[in-house]
Amino acid sequence: MSSHESEHEETEVLSPTPGQKVSKFLERSDVRKSFGLGVFFTLVFVILGGYAYPKWMPTIMSTDMKANEHLMIAFTYISAPICGLVLGIATYTFLQRHKGDAPPEDGPAIKTNGPVVVVWSIVTSLFALLAIIWGITELNVGAEAAATDAKQAIVVEVTGSQWVWSFNYPAQGFSSTELNLPLDRPVEFKVISADVNHSFWPVQLGVKVDANRLETTSAETTPTKLGVFDIKCAELCGLYHAYMESTGHVMTTSDFDNWVTAQGGHSA
Amino acid sequence: MTTLDHQVGSHPIPNPSKSLITKLNMGTGTVVGAIFAVVVYFWLRSGEDMSVPQNDNRVLLISMFAWSVGFLVGIGAFIGPFRWLIGKDLTDEEQLFLAGEGQGISRYFRYCTDHKVVGIQYLVGVMAMLGVGGTLAMMIRTNLAMPGSKIVTPAIYNSLVGLHGITMIVAMIVVSTGPFGNFILPIMIGARDMAFPRLNALSWWVLFTAIPVLCSAWFLGGIPTGWTAYAPLSVQAGPGMNAFVATIIIFAVSTAVTGANITATVVTMRAKGMKWNRVPIFVIGATISVALAIPAFPTFMVSMIMTALDRTVGTTYFDAQFGGSGWLYAHLFWIMGHPEVYVILLPGVAALMEIVPVFVRKPLFSYNAAILGFSGIAGLSVLVWAHHMYISGWLPMLNGPFMITTEMISIPTGLIFLVILGTLWRGKPWMKLPMLSVYAFLWNMLIGGVTGVYLSDVPADNYLHGSMYVTAHFHYTLMGAALTGAIAGLAYWFPKMTGRMLHEKAGYIAFWFVQIGFQILFLGMFISGAEGQPRRVADYAAMYKHSDMISTVGAYSVGIGMLFLLWAVVHSWRKGAIAPMNPWGAKTLEWTVPFPVPLENFDTPPVITSDPYGYGRNEK
Repeated sequence: MSSHESEHEETEVLSPTPGQKVSKFLERSDVRKSFGLGVFFTLVFVILGGYAYPKWMPTIMSTDMKANEHLMIAFTYISAPICGLVLGIATYTFLQRHKGDAPPEDGPAIKTNGPVVVVWSIVTSLFALLAIIWGITELNVGAEAAATDAKQAIVVEVTGSQWVWSFNYPAQGFSSTELNLPLDRPVEFKVISADVNHSFWPVQLGVKVDANRLETTSAETTPTKLGVFDIKCAELCGLYHAYMESTGHVMTTSDFDNWVTAQGGHSA
Repeated sequence: MTTLDHQVGSHPIPNPSKSLITKLNMGTGTVVGAIFAVVVYFWLRSGEDMSVPQNDNRVLLISMFAWSVGFLVGIGAFIGPFRWLIGKDLTDEEQLFLAGEGQGISRYFRYCTDHKVVGIQYLVGVMAMLGVGGTLAMMIRTNLAMPGSKIVTPAIYNSLVGLHGITMIVAMIVVSTGPFGNFILPIMIGARDMAFPRLNALSWWVLFTAIPVLCSAWFLGGIPTGWTAYAPLSVQAGPGMNAFVATIIIFAVSTAVTGANITATVVTMRAKGMKWNRVPIFVIGATISVALAIPAFPTFMVSMIMTALDRTVGTTYFDAQFGGSGWLYAHLFWIMGHPEVYVILLPGVAALMEIVPVFVRKPLFSYNAAILGFSGIAGLSVLVWAHHMYISGWLPMLNGPFMITTEMISIPTGLIFLVILGTLWRGKPWMKLPMLSVYAFLWNMLIGGVTGVYLSDVPADNYLHGSMYVTAHFHYTLMGAALTGAIAGLAYWFPKMTGRMLHEKAGYIAFWFVQIGFQILFLGMFISGAEGQPRRVADYAAMYKHSDMISTVGAYSVGIGMLFLLWAVVHSWRKGAIAPMNPWGAKTLEWTVPFPVPLENFDTPPVITSDPYGYGRNEK
């Protein structure tokens, strides 16, 4: 051990290896304090993300809503270390601040640091790549599910007009101002506007699509929980935009069939 | 003055006081503009059936343009071009008069070509616009304090939202490049003035004519469409919409002129020795911002011309019933709209980057990374517009590609953070007001950036689009980052622009009221958005009452802070402590000239031998 040590020191004096540079760097007190603060902020963000989003976001009533909330929490976790690092360094320098009416002494003349710039760029690129891959995967999963569900899906034609939503069930052969959906059966909303742009938003179902004049747009999901969901308009559509809202229900298949019959439709 | 001497001496000129130019100012402009508007209005009206909305819209819109042209005639903007047309030019003495030589306060009310006068005109104009926009915001938040509020009617509420939006967007686009880009930037690069001084005066006065036009919307029934003015809602909207259309078209002319002028100035008029890698970073950021505006704003102008035609003569560009498309409008709008947010953001960030090295007394960390960050953002920003249309139903198959370009913006944005953090690293920041704003920026931009990544992701956007969450996100970037940068720039350059120091204590009070209030305000809005409250709603369900109340409380705190800032600016401008030539010990050129800055800035043209960030002690 001792015989190796002298060799070791000699090489360090001449030219420290990258590994030695890093370990020396990590021993510095400002580095340790900055990183300590960074870990603290990371934890704050992780706890906030894990706690706040499930608390703030409404009841999960569909497959899509579940995926949305999952994604919000996951992205908070992913971005937490970067936010933590930025805030850690910023907070440490803030604590070192200089007060008074004269400028402080000059700091070290660090014009740039190649490895730091490269590592930072690679790390942020990897995080961006992760977000992209995640998003693309979610998109594909959604598209594939919609394609396989298309045959058994119940189709609801949604029309937005200033300032009400109306619903038509073509296969069942009736129209209604109410939106009721059977549990666990895929639904496809075919959305259109009678006048200006609206945006159909069944909040707890986690999907949203614009209602355009003479262009049908569509959104698919599968309700997974019985209960009431809110329907809102998410695109400013004139005077009573704020009041263009109603509620819909997810109900058991037998309740749904009864409702369809009562409306004068036939089950399909 | 010095450089014009040889011209003045070469050919004697008749007494300039007889020249028409000396008799024109804002007052004559307003009078001629009003006459133009009134004459055109009644002339076009005669014989038309004004109960037909198309006719009414046509008459109003043309009258508004007549006001703008009339004002410019009345203030003398066309005297120079007219002389060229008849083969002459302004006399040298007239040129000196236009530069505001020896005119005191009155030059601020004239068609003045001195870039410093234009800068002050922009500063006052922007503060007025922010004041109006802020007041509208307070009215919005007051109405939203409690559910079921009947303080204003839904019609008035929608107008408040539309006017707040467009007033703030216009103000924020010029908030840094207007005052600092005109006053400070030419001095920073060692130029005697802008490349095109008369265009510089034109850009300000054209913008000025848009302000009364925008205000007239209030008396014409308001703007019911929000600042996005989506068709077909905008085609259906009442006469107030004409004011919106006219404002945007006039404003687009102004920004095109400014963009060309600042770009040309920086490219051609840098001091001897100021190579591209010695240009101060604020100049780089402001130039990239205005250069980005040059391709972006014409599409906004085009979209507004098409809206105007749909509204006035019955074209059907945006009417699906007759072969048009609302999506066409959305595309034109967002092809401008997304670059535009970076047009707003970059100068503010660049001002902060200029500030950090001065107050930390260290070189700017990795100047090249900063430039790469700015250019990367600017380059990507023209390829991301359809992320505003994920849920519009327009070609869902393109959502993937637009998601990729949008999320890639986080990479150059990361470089911006790296540059600021790297400059802070191992420094002892001098905690004056401009430096304090840097920390506010880091926090706000972090929140704005991360929430932007959620929103850029299609599945999350399916839920969040059109909700209060989006409103909170873009206020974090535009107000929390860009406006914070502009206010930092004001605190930093105030001594050079006014000759006095900004009142420090009032500045700190304003800072904390604004920044803490801001966090409360938009935390509440993130919550109500995540809970499912749509944006731009006059009323909301009782379940959102807590988060909306939080937002309103925060908004009042911001409002109080802004009043402190206003007091600080007005008081300091009149009675503040006299500023030394270089109060911050900075190394850029604007701090080498005295106050008041002489007419052509430098007695001897400066020669540049290094970048302006030569702070710091060398180690080992």
